[in-house]
Amino acid sequence: MSVAAPGPAALRGIDLARAVRVMLPAVMLVIVACFAAASPTFRSGGNLVHVLINDVTLPALASLGMTLVVSTGGIDLSVGTAADLAALAAALTVTQGGDALLALSAGLAAALCVGVVNAILVAGFGIAPFLATLGILFIGESVQQLATNGGAPIYVVSNFPPLLDRLAHGAMLSIPIPLILLAMLSALTRLLLARTAYGRRAHATGIAPAVARHSGVPVRRVLAITYILSASLCGVAGLLLLATVKSYVPLSGNAFLLDAIGAVFLGTTISRDARPNVPGTLLGVLLFGVLRNGLLLVGWNFYWQQVAVGLLVLVVLGVSFGVRRRGRE
Amino acid sequence: MNDQAGEAALSLQGLVKRFGATRALDGASLVVRRGSLHGLIGQNGAGKSTIVKILNGLLQPDSGSIAIDGRQVVDASPRLIERLGVHIIHQEPMLVPGFTVAEALFLGDEPRLGAGRSPVVSWRTMRRCAEEAIASRFGLALRGDTPLDQLGAAERQIVQITRSLLKAPRVLVFDEPTASLVRSEANRLFAIIRRLREEGAAVLYVSHYLEEVRDLCDTVTVLRNGRDVATLDPARTSVAGMAALMVDRDLGAMFPTRSSLPGAPLLEARGLGRSGAFADLSFTLRAGEILGLTGLVGSGAKELVAALFGLAPADRGTLLLHGRAVMPASPSEAVGLGIGLVPEDRRRNGVALDASVAENATLPGLVRFVRRFLLDRGREQEAVRGLIARLAIKTPGPDAPVGALSGGNQQKVSLAKWLGTGATLFLLDEPTVAVDVAAKVEIYRLLADLAAGGAGILLLSSDLAELRGLADRILVMHRGRLVAELRAADATADEILTAASGGAAGSAPDGIAA
Repeated sequence: MSVAAPGPAALRGIDLARAVRVMLPAVMLVIVACFAAASPTFRSGGNLVHVLINDVTLPALASLGMTLVVSTGGIDLSVGTAADLAALAAALTVTQGGDALLALSAGLAAALCVGVVNAILVAGFGIAPFLATLGILFIGESVQQLATNGGAPIYVVSNFPPLLDRLAHGAMLSIPIPLILLAMLSALTRLLLARTAYGRRAHATGIAPAVARHSGVPVRRVLAITYILSASLCGVAGLLLLATVKSYVPLSGNAFLLDAIGAVFLGTTISRDARPNVPGTLLGVLLFGVLRNGLLLVGWNFYWQQVAVGLLVLVVLGVSFGVRRRGRE
Repeated sequence: MNDQAGEAALSLQGLVKRFGATRALDGASLVVRRGSLHGLIGQNGAGKSTIVKILNGLLQPDSGSIAIDGRQVVDASPRLIERLGVHIIHQEPMLVPGFTVAEALFLGDEPRLGAGRSPVVSWRTMRRCAEEAIASRFGLALRGDTPLDQLGAAERQIVQITRSLLKAPRVLVFDEPTASLVRSEANRLFAIIRRLREEGAAVLYVSHYLEEVRDLCDTVTVLRNGRDVATLDPARTSVAGMAALMVDRDLGAMFPTRSSLPGAPLLEARGLGRSGAFADLSFTLRAGEILGLTGLVGSGAKELVAALFGLAPADRGTLLLHGRAVMPASPSEAVGLGIGLVPEDRRRNGVALDASVAENATLPGLVRFVRRFLLDRGREQEAVRGLIARLAIKTPGPDAPVGALSGGNQQKVSLAKWLGTGATLFLLDEPTVAVDVAAKVEIYRLLADLAAGGAGILLLSSDLAELRGLADRILVMHRGRLVAELRAADATADEILTAASGGAAGSAPDGIAA
């Protein structure tokens, strides 16, 4: 409670708290070092780019949105829904002969719809985010199955718009375009959360909603913006997925959900005040990607990979929570 | 003291409880005898609620002793206290809202099937026992399967009391039990409490309502600044006499001298009302004025402040701010109009303990630091350093979490939030509760400065010394209405308390168990 003079115990607490904040990067280095030693393929440059593009970029985009949502104290279970519906809308546009720009607009509009509905449910009606977005998750699944005769993929291989193709497979200055896109959106999200009035209000809403309200923060507007931004970022992920595989497979976006949640919470461990933050989230997603890729290359059974990911989440968060609780007592 | 009363059922001796620099209790003693009704009165902050929390086992005294039926109690936990037979009836019944009467009565102690040994709860037995228990004690036919939220406040109170009675209490503590009750419900409760006394229970009755205490209790202990300053026989003392004992006489030096000449009307309420909360309120607050507002729990004063800040808008009447008709529908709208609130529940509504001093202090007026979409953190830090200096906030720095500060300094942060936002109307809800004396003086000085600078200040407080020392005028509310407007310079504590408890000063009490 009071600002007592820091005794030896308090000093130890501070050191431990510092140690916790470097835990995630340290774990990352150790894992990379181990895999690099064990597998020559892992340490090749080509593999690194492969991991970044295929295993990291798409979940990272969804995780950026999740970072915003968790900052406001909520959760968004419909990240996959927004991604899938964006991909579905774009795929249908292309099969109907629409061009790339029209397809992209249709996709973003679909994602935006998901965001607006979430915003109405959470900010307008005050439904708990977990339940509101769970409802949208269910409805989104049905919509996709109804639109595809029970879940048949839509292949758009023939006359795939070249612009869309370049979005996924092109490069600028020999940097793959998906990575450029991710870097730009990450930087923007980082700026938004850490440096704008919106970001400060989002954190305040998450930390102490009653205080935010009593301070005149337009809490409902902050929440509405947050869910719309989250769905939009997921929409970009969905469009990128469509452009990468040139087909729309129903419900494939749900794969982002658990990684996004895990990455955001892992990422909070590098923050001094345990808040969701963009660098931490990116590190979390990267860790998941590297871990899965490395385990695959050293020949682990595919089904054991989730065990490793789960253990990682539990250990890092367990240590972090434990230390922070001791610091408070 | 009363000679007929039995042996001491509850005895507190020399209790001391410190919170940081403040002493909530400073050697308080009191003895409740078997078969007696013992009143405990005192202003907010006198230590009443600390005593209740100690009796509940929620707080441990730093020194002093507690004896129940002559047995010393050490390291009391809520469980131990309850085993020793002390039961507390709170102002708001502590019952699970969605439960039925029977579930609430037997929670944790449900009758079981199979001679009480099986793990299966016998709902039939439970309902029957509940209905019998309530009917036999209170002559009230309540169905055991009625959900609590369909009951009135008095009926919920009865459920709570029955729950305690089922455990054969030795000592019953009533903590402001009538605050949420209407007169007829309160009268029923008084009859019940008198019967409990006749049955030999020892009752400690904690209340703000002095007339209630006078009419009900055999003995009254007055608490002031954490000490028992008098134990008296209410039959031989007037309400005004009790009120005079409650008030500290020597705090004059704490208040800044003010020589303000109130200016143009800043806030004008005309017939303001909100159903179920308050009605027909008309008053004017001038620029440069500190307007005191007081009332007991349930008087509507809190609700008035909530309405002015847009938390629960008024639904009748008009409100003029700087001569313009306004009716803030949300706090963010109120803040946009230049209204700031320092809420009573600091830790819940006032400051975010896990956020830094800077983040808290700039939250309401954040837009003033925005330059091309981004927060100018250099200027923000500079402004926060200015606020820390101006309010003498003791903090390791602008980035320290507010939770690491003392209560008084947290409260200064809660006030600092509104400086520099352009607010002209400051609403303060019990701004110095649980605040140490040094911080109190700083806060008073700052409020006087703000008023001198042309702001209007509405000071809701139940601290009479504070109202008389700081305010220009004092509005007193009782059960939703304005009942008195007093010039702070001439108002006596007795006048204010008497008006707040329902009678005009000097008039007859409005018939409690007449």
